[in-house]
Amino acid sequence: MTDGDDIEMLAAEYVLGTLDATERADVARRRVREPQLDAAISAWERRLGPLATAAAPVEPPADLLDKIRQRVDRADPGAEVVVLQRAVRRWRSIGLSAMAAAAALLVVIGVRETGREPPSRYVAVFHQNDETPSFLLSIDLAERRVTIQPVAAPRQPDRTYQLWIASDQLGARPRSLGLLSDASLTTAEIDLPIDVASLRTATFGISVEPKGGSPTGVPTGPALHARLLRVPQTN
Amino acid sequence: MLASVARGDRAALDRLYARTSAKLYGVVLRIVQRREVADDVLQDVYVRVWGQAGRFAPDKGSAIAWLATIARNLAIDHVRQSGRFVSEDDAKLAERADEGRSALDLLEHDDDARRLRSCLDALEPERRALVIAAYLDGASREDLAARTGTPVGTIKTWLHRSLKQLKDCLMS
Repeated sequence: MTDGDDIEMLAAEYVLGTLDATERADVARRRVREPQLDAAISAWERRLGPLATAAAPVEPPADLLDKIRQRVDRADPGAEVVVLQRAVRRWRSIGLSAMAAAAALLVVIGVRETGREPPSRYVAVFHQNDETPSFLLSIDLAERRVTIQPVAAPRQPDRTYQLWIASDQLGARPRSLGLLSDASLTTAEIDLPIDVASLRTATFGISVEPKGGSPTGVPTGPALHARLLRVPQTN
Repeated sequence: MLASVARGDRAALDRLYARTSAKLYGVVLRIVQRREVADDVLQDVYVRVWGQAGRFAPDKGSAIAWLATIARNLAIDHVRQSGRFVSEDDAKLAERADEGRSALDLLEHDDDARRLRSCLDALEPERRALVIAAYLDGASREDLAARTGTPVGTIKTWLHRSLKQLKDCLMS
């Protein structure tokens, strides 16, 4: 049997469901980095998919949706990641260089429409690498204000950090919220130029730019890696 | 609707649940067999859908097929990890195998389903029963071996042949 046949049958049995726990976990890991395996799995899902309709519908318990809502309301990193990925695509599309885009993860105020008062404060942690946080960005929705606080941001002798916001309300390109120059690598509070509703879908980024800021009006330098943490509601 | 869910629309999640939960609960319950387990797995399904709705690609299939794939994967992961079939008695397995054969009558009647049905019908009856038991009941190779009194290696060979035959038939 060729490798292709092996992959084909592995994909088929994965979709059929006959692999054991170890094999399943192995396939789930491999498909992320093996496009051929991933494509074979998708193809088998399509082929056998109609069979799933042969399971007779059963009404789930009445309280199940409430339990799901509660879980979705709690810390929900999975959902934030999706929004984050979309945000990265958006920033790429406005011309972050390929290298910068690869390093860029932008902060999203992922306020969900909960049907009740959303949490009003978010914190984003910008990383230069996976260990050292560079900046803490906290966002106060009610006050429409961000506070940017350097943690271990390395000084950039000939360059400067620049903070950006992107939002539909501000147009297609990110807007600069100002330079975080060496001299002012202290906590800064910045009022945001958009309304609260738009803020809920806005994203933030920090890039490293030449002194004086980006010469083009959009981020040009390497962007910092950011992770979003939702601040638990304290009131 | 999944696009709205991906944007974080709670009302869309409620609507999606109203339309799809009975179908997915049926898929999950059939595999995990116990309601209290199915309750937990179905919660996991919708929490995952909430988080991953943005990954749904309409050009790659229907929304319900995508949802059913997530439901089956989580249900099968669960039974593989907890070893459900070990404790189950054979009479019940035989009963479900019978259900499996008639299950094909429940298939929806769109083109894909019709083609799959006719290709499944082309398999030898015992092989067809294995494929259906695996897909619908979440039976592992070992479960199928125990059910049919056949060595696991033979089951694997049969499954591979059946799957290849199915693929050839579906692509012809």
